[in-house]
Amino acid sequence: MRIERHPILTFRRGRRVKFFFNGREVEAREGETIAMALYAAGIRDLSKSQKFHRPRGLFCAIGKCSSCLLTVDGIPNVRTCIIPVKEGMRVEASEGNPRLADNVPPPKKFMEPETHRTDLLVIGGGPAGLQAAIHAADMGARVTVLDEAPMLGGQLVKQTHKFFGKRQLHAGVRGIKIAEMLIEEVRRRGIEIFSRTSAVGLFPSGEEKVVDAVEAERYLHRFTARAVLVATGAMERYLPFPGADLPGVYGAGAVQTLMNTYGILPGERVLIVGAGNVGLILAYQLMQAGVKVPAVVEALPRVGGYFVHAAKIRRQGVPILTRHTIVRAAGSGRVEQATVAELDERWSVIEGTEKTYDVDVVALSVGLRPSVELLQQAGCSMRFVRELAGLVPLRDRNMQTTVEGIYVAGDASGIEEATTAMLEGTIAGISAGFYLGHGDEKWQERLERARAELEEFRDGPIGREVKKGIERVLI
Amino acid sequence: MKERVVIVGGGIMGLATAYHLARLGAENVTVLERRFAGYGATFRTGTGIRESFGDETNIWMMRESIKMWKALEEELGHPTEYRQTGYMFLLHTEEEMESFRRNVSLQNSLSVPSRIISPEEAKEIVPPLNIEDVLGAAYNPEDGKANPFLVLQGYKKASLKMGVKIHEYSPVEGIVERGGKRVVKTPRGEFEADILINAAGGWSKLIDRMVAVPSHVEPYKHQAIKTEALERGQINPMVVSFKHGGAYLTQDIADGGVIGGVALAEGPTFDMNPTLEYAIEVSRHFTWLIPALKYVHIVRQWAGFYATTPDKNPVIGEVAPGYYIISGFSGHGFMMSPMATKSLAELIVEGGTSAPLDFYDPHRFERGEFREAAIQMG
Ligand SMILES: Cc1cc2nc3c(=O)[nH]c(=O)nc-3n(C[C@H](O)[C@H](O)[C@H](O)COP(=O)(O)OP(=O)(O)OC[C@H]3O[C@@H](n4cnc5c(N)ncnc54)[C@H](O)[C@@H]3O)c2cc1C
Ligand code: FES
Repeated sequence: MRIERHPILTFRRGRRVKFFFNGREVEAREGETIAMALYAAGIRDLSKSQKFHRPRGLFCAIGKCSSCLLTVDGIPNVRTCIIPVKEGMRVEASEGNPRLADNVPPPKKFMEPETHRTDLLVIGGGPAGLQAAIHAADMGARVTVLDEAPMLGGQLVKQTHKFFGKRQLHAGVRGIKIAEMLIEEVRRRGIEIFSRTSAVGLFPSGEEKVVDAVEAERYLHRFTARAVLVATGAMERYLPFPGADLPGVYGAGAVQTLMNTYGILPGERVLIVGAGNVGLILAYQLMQAGVKVPAVVEALPRVGGYFVHAAKIRRQGVPILTRHTIVRAAGSGRVEQATVAELDERWSVIEGTEKTYDVDVVALSVGLRPSVELLQQAGCSMRFVRELAGLVPLRDRNMQTTVEGIYVAGDASGIEEATTAMLEGTIAGISAGFYLGHGDEKWQERLERARAELEEFRDGPIGREVKKGIERVLI
Repeated sequence: MKERVVIVGGGIMGLATAYHLARLGAENVTVLERRFAGYGATFRTGTGIRESFGDETNIWMMRESIKMWKALEEELGHPTEYRQTGYMFLLHTEEEMESFRRNVSLQNSLSVPSRIISPEEAKEIVPPLNIEDVLGAAYNPEDGKANPFLVLQGYKKASLKMGVKIHEYSPVEGIVERGGKRVVKTPRGEFEADILINAAGGWSKLIDRMVAVPSHVEPYKHQAIKTEALERGQINPMVVSFKHGGAYLTQDIADGGVIGGVALAEGPTFDMNPTLEYAIEVSRHFTWLIPALKYVHIVRQWAGFYATTPDKNPVIGEVAPGYYIISGFSGHGFMMSPMATKSLAELIVEGGTSAPLDFYDPHRFERGEFREAAIQMG
């Protein structure tokens, strides 16, 4: 179901288009991705698992988990959550693994990749990547931005809440607005943008870096750049429990994408697991869209997110059950119920405390992990750092990794938030600008200022943990 | 046998040799591996196992090896995913047809059931195959493939059970002579060796150097790829085309993903980074041979070393008193490991073997003897 009225968001819907899912005609709006359009049409069960033929629905909705793979116009294993629908498209759930057709004509000519040359290639157009692009461009570098999503802005495009902190860091402005502003800045500078384009390989060869990327699962591009920034963000963590694979168990980010980016109602009643900022904000956003939230459960004894967010949803009557966890989700073919229970000091379920809710969605906001595959593949030295939530690249104070000319910023360098991502992006962008031979003292000052702001922003208790983590990867 | 045997290298050669030595009664066998067992070429192999060679000795070795492959799962008490799914050499020119007719008749004379088949038969065996420029194919249904991860684990477990000691993360950094014995130095301690075996694959020449003998094995970087999972059983044999980039490809037994490579080597080098150029060459040739692969993603690409000798045949045997080598398999060691390691173990424990190890004599190059180059893939 598409959301018709929303207190903050207005959804500009494209024209109606028709496509086919397993032979059945489905109506969509232009601009929607395949999985989103199917969801709007009430189709949550996308395919069946290989071994046990259990129903599979989406999970991350940002192209990072492979839960939504379908065959599209003959191409198997397409991430349908990020590929837009087209009139007449044929989408199929393949039974088992895809089959190779017997009579595909051999290619007349091998399609050579389209080649591009740039100074700084930014992989990932979220807050970190866009800030970097803007600053490096202002210094005079030629910048190109790739993003596998259909639109720029990264995770900001679904943040309807207002940001905290200082005014010059966009405090008081909603995430979606910040995204619009950044995109506008990028456009104004004539920065080259490739959306729906996934970088699949990063090959440093001396002074040059070569990045291969696939556009819309079809066209190969090859970028040669002197510097590369990897700002690929993060992916959501999963939580195992009986029924965790039922359609209806989604990452919190996926629920936000459905609701805030595409204006599609994720469900009627949503149980939220995890009371960090993401979980708390999601609860609030769901209520804004008219969805009921019977509870937020949190395994820790305390709420992890900011007090204001927690207070806001408590005022709306949503209980936050600390020391509780989800013990199972149940339903035939999709989530219909979720059961939670209280935990004792040793993290074991206390018998007799089980409570069952009638819900059609369980949103997991149990943390993120950095998306570092490209960095690792490129040979950057990595380290597992708990405080940064996973495997992250070593980096210097300029956000340069151990491979000269390869930079990192944002969640890919360790999980934090959009404000720090923007500051890290600024630092990486200016540093890359210097590396490319641009910039003067004025830029040196800007760089120092961004460093100081970041330092200041990390002064809270969460920031202190992050700083501890960063010490372990600083070179 | 009480002598202390130290084997350098925990690849298929090192571990299978240890296994056979222990079976023949060697009581004191130690394997030293610089990383984890299988880290070298063994876990990077293209998985192919064939007796389709062009010379008598290699055909013999492989025929015997295949007998052992068939029994290996039971012998080790561990799955190997060994299957006889065949090899299919696509032939695109009259010259190729001629030379493979010769190979086939030699193979037949050694009771290998290979045969020349028509393009249509080839397409029947591999339905998604493009036969547009195929004149025929040399097909041997007895060839096949196995899972290197499972096989290595099997040897490891079986060896440990018989008392073999395996030290991982123990790189050999030096070899010295002390009191007439060789002492092998690692950061994890020293190991005295009455008998020392170089099974260090692509790194063999470094061990030769430590023992101060000439080496004839050089590391050449070869790569391979694996695609996403596909419906199984569509490309059963290893399909080979020398004309199209020296491509070889087959479907994995477990998940049906296509595994394979092309002939694009670099070296000698100790660099193991996969290259973009390689991914593109693979795409170019694979999509010609199996056009439906144009829709399929490559999900893994890796590089490893072919331990290569001047005539592409291995070196197996005694190099200096008490120092043996089993290396230089030039891209076909996985398949030959059963017979190669068993015969070396026999040579060491029993003083002789029925296998024609003279052919693989490590000293042949110093005598200026070069064998006819073995058929190599990739
Ligand atoms: C891309 C590719 C495709 C291939 N395809 C096939 C195929 O289809 N069929 C086939 O039969 N063969 C194939 N091969 C070849 C086959 O994999 C090898 O011949 C075989 O694995 C060799 O085994 P090994 O034990 O001699 O060497 P390795 O497996 O390389 O083992 C040597 C070991 O020695 C260790 N080592 C080195 N130096 C030291 C030291 N100083 N101290 C301690 N340890 C040390 C290494 O870490 C390594 O683990 C392929 C190889 C590659 C790279
Ligand atoms: S990749 Fe599409 S839902 Fe995760």
